[in-house]
Amino acid sequence: MASTSKDVPIVTIEENPPDDLEPGACYDSILNPTDSFEEFASEMSSSLQERNISLAAINSTISEIQSEIGENSAQIKTTKSSDDLQNKDESISASTSNSNLIEQNGDDTDNEKDDYLQTPELVNKEKHVFILSSAGKPIYSRYGNEDKLAGLCGVIQALVSVVEEQNQDILRSITTKDCKAVFLVKGPLILVAVSKSNESETQLVLQLTYAFNQIVSVLTLTQLNRIFEQRRNYDLRRLLSGAERLIDHLLIFMEKDPAFLLGAVRCLPLPEKARENITSAIQSTCNKIRDLVFAIMLAGNQLITLVRMKKYTLHPSDIHLLFNLVRSSESFKTAESWTPICLPKFDSTGFLHGHVSYISEDCQACLLLLTVQRDAFFPLSQAKHTIAEKLRRSNCLVAINDALNRNEELPTTNPLKHIGIPEIRHFMYKCKSTAQLFTSDPISLDKLQDYRMRHKVGGDIMVKKIEKLSDIDYVRNYRRFCSSIHCTSTPAKLIFRSNSSDTILAWVTNGFELYVTFDPLMEKDQAIKAVDRLLKWIKKEEQRIFIMHAPTF
Amino acid sequence: MINSLRNSTFYTMIDVKAKINSFFIFNSSFGPREGDELQRILFYHPSQTSADAQKMQVGLCEAVVKFMSTFSSEPCEALQTQTKRYIFYQPEKGYWMVLVVRIPYTTKALSAIGESRGAADIINPSVMYDLLKSAYKMFRMFRGPFKNYPIEEIYTICDQFYTPYISSRNLSNDITDVIQGINYLPLDKNSFFKVLCFIDLLEVNYPHFKCISFIYNEQLIWNGLSTPDMLTLYQYLVQSLLPKQVEKEIQGGAVAAAQRHGRFIHPPEGIHSQADLQKLVKVHLMREDDKETKQYYLVVYRTMSATVCFTVDENVDLQFEMFRSLDAFIGPQLSAIASTISEQCTLHALHTAQLAASEHKFVYFNRLNLAFKTSPTLNKLHPSTAIKPEVLSIIASIHSDKQSLGNYGEIIIKTPDEYWITGKSSNEREFYVIIQEKNANLKEIADEVRRICEAQMKGIFFYPM
Repeated sequence: MASTSKDVPIVTIEENPPDDLEPGACYDSILNPTDSFEEFASEMSSSLQERNISLAAINSTISEIQSEIGENSAQIKTTKSSDDLQNKDESISASTSNSNLIEQNGDDTDNEKDDYLQTPELVNKEKHVFILSSAGKPIYSRYGNEDKLAGLCGVIQALVSVVEEQNQDILRSITTKDCKAVFLVKGPLILVAVSKSNESETQLVLQLTYAFNQIVSVLTLTQLNRIFEQRRNYDLRRLLSGAERLIDHLLIFMEKDPAFLLGAVRCLPLPEKARENITSAIQSTCNKIRDLVFAIMLAGNQLITLVRMKKYTLHPSDIHLLFNLVRSSESFKTAESWTPICLPKFDSTGFLHGHVSYISEDCQACLLLLTVQRDAFFPLSQAKHTIAEKLRRSNCLVAINDALNRNEELPTTNPLKHIGIPEIRHFMYKCKSTAQLFTSDPISLDKLQDYRMRHKVGGDIMVKKIEKLSDIDYVRNYRRFCSSIHCTSTPAKLIFRSNSSDTILAWVTNGFELYVTFDPLMEKDQAIKAVDRLLKWIKKEEQRIFIMHAPTF
Repeated sequence: MINSLRNSTFYTMIDVKAKINSFFIFNSSFGPREGDELQRILFYHPSQTSADAQKMQVGLCEAVVKFMSTFSSEPCEALQTQTKRYIFYQPEKGYWMVLVVRIPYTTKALSAIGESRGAADIINPSVMYDLLKSAYKMFRMFRGPFKNYPIEEIYTICDQFYTPYISSRNLSNDITDVIQGINYLPLDKNSFFKVLCFIDLLEVNYPHFKCISFIYNEQLIWNGLSTPDMLTLYQYLVQSLLPKQVEKEIQGGAVAAAQRHGRFIHPPEGIHSQADLQKLVKVHLMREDDKETKQYYLVVYRTMSATVCFTVDENVDLQFEMFRSLDAFIGPQLSAIASTISEQCTLHALHTAQLAASEHKFVYFNRLNLAFKTSPTLNKLHPSTAIKPEVLSIIASIHSDKQSLGNYGEIIIKTPDEYWITGKSSNEREFYVIIQEKNANLKEIADEVRRICEAQMKGIFFYPM
């Protein structure tokens, strides 16, 4: 201890890995902590040939589970997914004729389409996202009407294919001084982000990957590939009617929540006892339901608990998609829902079936019960009510509400005040082995609403007056540090940057990543001391702010 | 004291030329109709590339430029594919220079194979952009802007200039490529005063001749050009003209008597008759007191290690007599000054040898006068003193992102292999220190950097300390 207090904690921790684990680490992780940056890097270093091969042959985890449970998995799965395609097709068929009409009308000249990009709807946006089919048909545009962007999509498709066919290469990005265009070809889709934000190329590609996964989550990869194998010119919008809204929300979510930046999941801070009670309520209720793969309770983009079938874990990015689904769907609030969900990292070839409902009218926690059984609604609905009743009796709903409403008495509500380090303005901490994060200013529900309201009107680039920074601004500042730390060619272990507006420390070890904003022109030894105290505090509160157990059914 | 003109060591020397896939210049308005695409290409290297391949590359670049113009008013800067990076520079409206370099998109696969290969492969894109920029500036200095040439002439002009330019250009991927600056020679007051008096006296006696720079070895003592042109002329002298001269001098064996007295080295064959005056080269430059770029004759004179550059207005009627008299005037005076400076340099070298006991590397750069100073290379045969490519790349990214440090700021970066890179900024001045230290902490590194800063940069204030 003596050496740690002697202003050299940064070295001591690194050189002599302590016997006890770093804050938040535990031996059994509920999440699959695969580093999304590494995954990304290996994916992006593949050549054109490798890319085409990797799209084939994916094992299905779902059929594995089904066969373990002892059902005729293959039959169920195939009939189900083709059902789904037909159902959706039919439900949309009424509007199809309509969209055909627009297509014919919208056959303008190229010039007029370029002009469309200069209209107030589209000009001066901080970040555009376009999704099109590899045949060049528009599928999604973040702003404006994608029908009018057929010309632009044609240009994008031509650029991508010229580089592939004539140069045997892959188009990755184009940059100007103030703007980056990033291209990602995934299966039969082309995804493009055109951004004037300070996000790095890697961060933008990750966002495009998320957008792709969001589409997969609605359709499954198998179905997506099959559609375009059968009809290269297919207008995918027919099948994605609900997904546009999901992608819209996901894009906002990614810009503001550091969980995406760090590839980690945020947990709702709860007293250890409360979380234990919630978990055991779920376990005791569900252990008889044999097809249940995951039971997930979440609130306000934060994980409360996750109970899983032995052997299977979830990847943070799948959890993010679930967060996004819950946040974007108002209908879950009014009624219990039964919905097919594909989790791309878990199994991109098939659907899980989810029973989704809020615990009660007076508690904003949402329970997802995911199963491989397609007609399990009633048993799961029954289970949900039992769980809700148990939680109410054990006072867990109060604990959840306290955390969500950020009750002043909780140490995690205003951690900086509680730790008592006035020099620290903001911090975020990721425990690498469990892929969980904690920030000094957990984003609350109303703040999220706020941001969305602002964003709906704009998405425009604004010159901001310097007022008090919000947590979103701090996260914005960390982006560059995050990308230097994770740079594939010249990574860094520690960055200390100090200028007249603030001092930022970014530090990565084998166990954690830490980003701290201090006052400007901070002295190094003071910064080191403050970080040392911060880490001790996180260690002390780890049971509350992280999920330290990985319960199974 | 024959100094190698570039302080590069062979450790970081990578064959940049082998990495250059192609270099071309195009202007889309030169062949607006379909079928005329080849006319848009002013220059293409390598020249043996098939016409179809040339058209295809230029067509891709045109499309990329147009695509980005729908989103940004800034010109396109780079296109990255899986295997290559295209770097764009538009020096004049419609004229695009493109350099295509083999830089893979991510080096993940490379670094997995082994650090040795991955590391040597890193070339910072900003180095490539600077390469393009100086390729244009050199053209403009000797040939003037592209737009001055009618379409019938431009192909030949570009070919005549750029073909030899590319084959002579060397890149060593060391710190002088990452931060392009000028090495100034620090002199004591008296010696500096002697140089100034010499220049004044000369300009009074020979009013047609204006001294635009005074260089000793490769270090600048006096400059009479506007800042952007100063760097171009300095690079021409130090990277191209002087190395050839030094080579000649070394081959000539002992310093010939003629060299002690000095001679004209530009034109390279010297000026021995009225006819030689035809060989004088015209340059497009902006002198310190000029309002715009004008055309001048460039005259360069050298004695021992001292080199003086003059400009003469292009309208002056040149007479051989003028040059002979100038030679007689400068010769003895300049050699006296050169000996004084040489003594100074020896003293200075002794002084820095004492300081150089520290094995840490540092780099100083001032954006205002482009002054550039690095820690002395202890021993050129000792490769370990060179800066690792990864470290270089980190310095390049600090240098190119001035905004991050602002007017006063400091950044300390630790790499996985225990290098600590510190960058400090104070108004327009930058200071970098590289320390390799296994068991150090942030505070110790900061203290060490402060000591180096105080010892090496006396009187230059960096905040925060």
